[in-house]
Amino acid sequence: MAGLTDRVPVLEMVGVSKRFDATQALGGVSLALYPGEVHALVGENGAGKSTLIKIMTGVHAADEGTILVGGEQVTLRSSADAQRHGIAAIYQEPTIYPDLNVAENIFLSHRDRGVAVRWGRMYREAEAILARLDVHLDVRTLASGLSVAAQQAVEIAKAMSLDVRVLIMDEPTAALSAHEVAQLFRQVRHLTAGGVAVLFISHRLDEVFEIADRVTVLRDGRLISSRPRAEATPQRAIQEMVGREMSEFFARTEHRPGELVLRVEGIGRAGAFAGVSFEVHKGEVLGLAGLVGAGRTDVALALFGIAPAEAGSVELDGRPVTIRSPREAMRHGIAYLSEDRRQLGLSLPQSLTANITLATLRRYLTRLRLVDTGAEHAVAERFRRRLSIRAPSLDTPVERLSGGNQQKTMLAKWLNAEPSVLILDEPTRGIDVGAKAEVHHIIDELARAGMAIVLISSDLPEVLAMSDRILVMREGRQVGMFGRAEATEEAIITAAMGAA
Amino acid sequence: MRARLGPERLRELSLLAVIAVSVVVFSRLVDNYLSGSFFNRVTTSMAITAVLAAAQTLVILTRNIDLSVGSIVGVTAYLTGEYLAGHQATAPLLAVALAMGIGAALGLLNGTLVAYGRVPSIIVTLGTLAIYRTWLIDHAKARTITADSLPRWLVEFPQGTVLRLGGLDIRVVLAVAVLVIVALQLALGRLRWGRWVYAVGSNPDAARQEGLPTERIILGAFVMCGALSGLAGFMFLSRFGTITVAAGQGLELAAVAAAVVGGVSILGGSGTLVGALLGALLIDLLEQSLVRVPEVSEFWRDAVLGALILLAIAGDLAIGRRLRRLWTSSSRREREASVGG
Amino acid sequence: MAERVLRWRTELLLAAILLAVVAVNVSLSPFYLRTGNFVNMFQLSIEKAIVAVIMTLVIVNGEIDLSVASVMGFSAAVVASLHDSGAVPFAVAVLVALLAGAGAGLLHGLFVARMGLPSLVVTIAGLIGFRGAARILVGDRSIGDFPEWFDRLGQEPLVGRFSLALIIFLVGIVVAGVVLQRSAFGRAVYVIGNNAEVARYSGIDTARVKLVLLTTSGFVAGLAGVLFAARLGSVRGNLAEGFELDIITMVLLGGVSIFGGSGTLVGVALSILIILNLRNGLGLANIQATTQTGIIGALLIASVLVPNLVVRFGRRWRRAAPEPGEVRPIQRPATVDTRRKE
Repeated sequence: MAGLTDRVPVLEMVGVSKRFDATQALGGVSLALYPGEVHALVGENGAGKSTLIKIMTGVHAADEGTILVGGEQVTLRSSADAQRHGIAAIYQEPTIYPDLNVAENIFLSHRDRGVAVRWGRMYREAEAILARLDVHLDVRTLASGLSVAAQQAVEIAKAMSLDVRVLIMDEPTAALSAHEVAQLFRQVRHLTAGGVAVLFISHRLDEVFEIADRVTVLRDGRLISSRPRAEATPQRAIQEMVGREMSEFFARTEHRPGELVLRVEGIGRAGAFAGVSFEVHKGEVLGLAGLVGAGRTDVALALFGIAPAEAGSVELDGRPVTIRSPREAMRHGIAYLSEDRRQLGLSLPQSLTANITLATLRRYLTRLRLVDTGAEHAVAERFRRRLSIRAPSLDTPVERLSGGNQQKTMLAKWLNAEPSVLILDEPTRGIDVGAKAEVHHIIDELARAGMAIVLISSDLPEVLAMSDRILVMREGRQVGMFGRAEATEEAIITAAMGAA
Repeated sequence: MRARLGPERLRELSLLAVIAVSVVVFSRLVDNYLSGSFFNRVTTSMAITAVLAAAQTLVILTRNIDLSVGSIVGVTAYLTGEYLAGHQATAPLLAVALAMGIGAALGLLNGTLVAYGRVPSIIVTLGTLAIYRTWLIDHAKARTITADSLPRWLVEFPQGTVLRLGGLDIRVVLAVAVLVIVALQLALGRLRWGRWVYAVGSNPDAARQEGLPTERIILGAFVMCGALSGLAGFMFLSRFGTITVAAGQGLELAAVAAAVVGGVSILGGSGTLVGALLGALLIDLLEQSLVRVPEVSEFWRDAVLGALILLAIAGDLAIGRRLRRLWTSSSRREREASVGG
Repeated sequence: MAERVLRWRTELLLAAILLAVVAVNVSLSPFYLRTGNFVNMFQLSIEKAIVAVIMTLVIVNGEIDLSVASVMGFSAAVVASLHDSGAVPFAVAVLVALLAGAGAGLLHGLFVARMGLPSLVVTIAGLIGFRGAARILVGDRSIGDFPEWFDRLGQEPLVGRFSLALIIFLVGIVVAGVVLQRSAFGRAVYVIGNNAEVARYSGIDTARVKLVLLTTSGFVAGLAGVLFAARLGSVRGNLAEGFELDIITMVLLGGVSIFGGSGTLVGVALSILIILNLRNGLGLANIQATTQTGIIGALLIASVLVPNLVVRFGRRWRRAAPEPGEVRPIQRPATVDTRRKE
């Protein structure tokens, strides 16, 4: 499009650098965001994306370089400063006040609305803003009762209400299903139509290339390229991100599944799901696809004993079992990797070692029932090597590891339990392309070695590439079972959405 | 359009229901239970706890706790009594202002340490509970304030009546307590500052990130808690007349209990002052009613009270959980059908 | 090495404070460093110290037990009233009292672990209830006249200069320390205190751990109550009233986080020594017990305030690392229903 470069960028970073102790997080990065444009930022973890965001939102100060807002140089000393200049950010996990309703969540941080709250007016204005985004919510609902997608919509509405000029979206689609992503993109287009500049950060390249007007690649703190979308391709972007050639989708090794391990017949739990039946064999990967809220995690929680099934039967190795607690599930050889690794999967302040042995500590006790730290360390070291977990040491608290390494630590913890059935819930959410490939590789190896795997994923290409069979759920019910041959993106999405 | 009955209104209503049921049950067990004098007794004695419960609620809403309110009551009651004993001609309003001012100052110290010193409130108020009490003991040097040294109007204050309905007296103390609480509840609901109090307790990190003046809000909550505790101290002084250095000891936990029974979440962000008032009423009602049941000796009172509080919370939690699940799941189904249109 | 210093920095700070307090005391009184004085110092607060040991585990686990002082009073009242009625031999009365304490703890534990009620609220109810129960048993009176062997166990040394209570404390704190730091149960206690959901999702039976801890807390409080009765020689309905605050102060001053998930018994041991030495020294300087309490309150606040200020001003001075305050907002995921707060 001609004439783009004549416009004044609403936010511009010129030669920005930032160093943390020994690491150069950003080196001389220059970036310009134009009004009404969706600017995508891609790069592996550690490439400098989050540092860049933190500088833009005033959380950190750059060591070198200048920041210009609307052509004028500014110093951002705090997040309040950034907000005043119209810069806001939305993260993967929505920032909301659970106990306040939707309308309040939108307008709470406004400073110019006077001393008294005019409820009627607030509700009307909230409904108006949501309408502009084509979102329909009861503005009186408490935010805690909303789905993640709805909470994000509220955050976007909040940004709109504050007349932001720059909206930074950090992995906004990580927790959304395809349908909700489409809705989100519609909301983004409403924003850009109003002149807002959007900085869109994501690991999902297919989405990036759908929504972005411009694609910028970062690697190791440096800007590698910045191109209009027409001149960019996913393959090139990956190459630049990683610095080497890589195929995007992992190819499963061919092998034949073994005997039946898990058989589920008509299980259900009131209010969550009903009538789900499937089988998983040794060495088989069963994909579980569907929209967020379809009930897939609920099925997993039932098999793992967190929220046991109320109806139906479960058979392991031909024997019927009842699973009423995670401990029982583990005793039967079932392991579950939660989709929320930070809140449910890992004890963040504890070390790598402690996390890896968390579910199996029983095995590393001396005669006095005390923990044998030597044996613990040996196990942790073995897994560190096997899964290529990158960490300063085995005693590092896992909160300091990158998303990909955290995911691998969680995987190590459950592999250590030597399960016969491994349930993975969104195992590659929020981790970079390189780590993702590693995880896929590991899953393939495990399948080859005979583990039965249930893979819950909202990443359709991933599900299609990794699964031997795919079960699709919609609104708590099973709506389709696809073999590898007949599984196409279209077929799965149609079943998942129930489109006519 | 779904009914406007939010979970907080629901909680207040269920408390009223429990209170009503208790009255019915006790009227069976006790002769002359439904009498005017009993009503007067309960309402006057609960006024102090109610004010303290409201004070505590303000702080709990911000995800903090104030264990020093008992000591603040003691200090303000004593100092106000001391002053009045020496200056008999002081105007009543001035006396109240004095008590509340002292309380506010003590609350200011609490709030500063919590908001700006970033010391967890349980630690700060555990410390000031001891410090304020120690200061009082040092200052008083074992002297007691006695009722006959106080101005007449103060001693007669608990008897003062605003309205007389048949045998029921609406005492001034009760009226003051209810008015203050209702006024504050309206403020919390209508003023932006009030909504910020809830926000800070609901998600403190988000509040800070969005540029809310979190420190000032928390400081304000502690100052108001202190001022209200000062008011309670004044009411305490007028009710008992004789103030020793141990005055107010233990009231902090009763305030927390009343707030919790009243539906205030200990995690912050939800609950109402009126709920705390009802919680105080329920606890006081149970306490006073048990005394009157002839089979229950005086010493059984506390034991049974503890059990009843436990039952109240457990029962309410079980019912509340079920109600909330119904409420959010039905509305969620509506919503998920309509997000994105 | 630096990593290890960092991990134990709270305990090192406490050790420094303890040394300072002892140094001041020694300089003020030449008789300070005699064993007699050391043992004596413990006597007056030994029961609180014993309960502080179990309270540490309870708080590290993310819970709190405010009923301990009332359970102390309750168990003492059980011993006294049974003895007074003459219904059973005294030794049996002691046994019943210990069981009563455990029973109280079990009751709290069931409400917290099985019903999921917050321990703060449940144990406040217990604080009120069991104090009342103590008053039911003992009434307005003071019951004493216990068997001689009982009084002797409570008031005189058992081994060398150490009384039974002191021995129980020393053994208890070592055992608890080993359990907390080095056993699987101790690991579970930490993880649950840190994030109970993660513990649950890792197959840990969080309800059982909480139940065990609260029951033990009741039992230890019962034991402390009986020991206190032995030391006093008589029991009133208000025995140990208000002790819970001192006990919690001992634990919090020891660097145990009130939010759970961190803290050690080494820190609590140091804090107990600090408090006892402080009280002892102040007492020798003729400062009243109530004033001592105020000073300890100030010390508690300072123990958290000062490191906070140092870190904040230190950071401004160094201007290097990112601030720990800038963390992601606390999230409550809306997708997993089991985590909704009540």
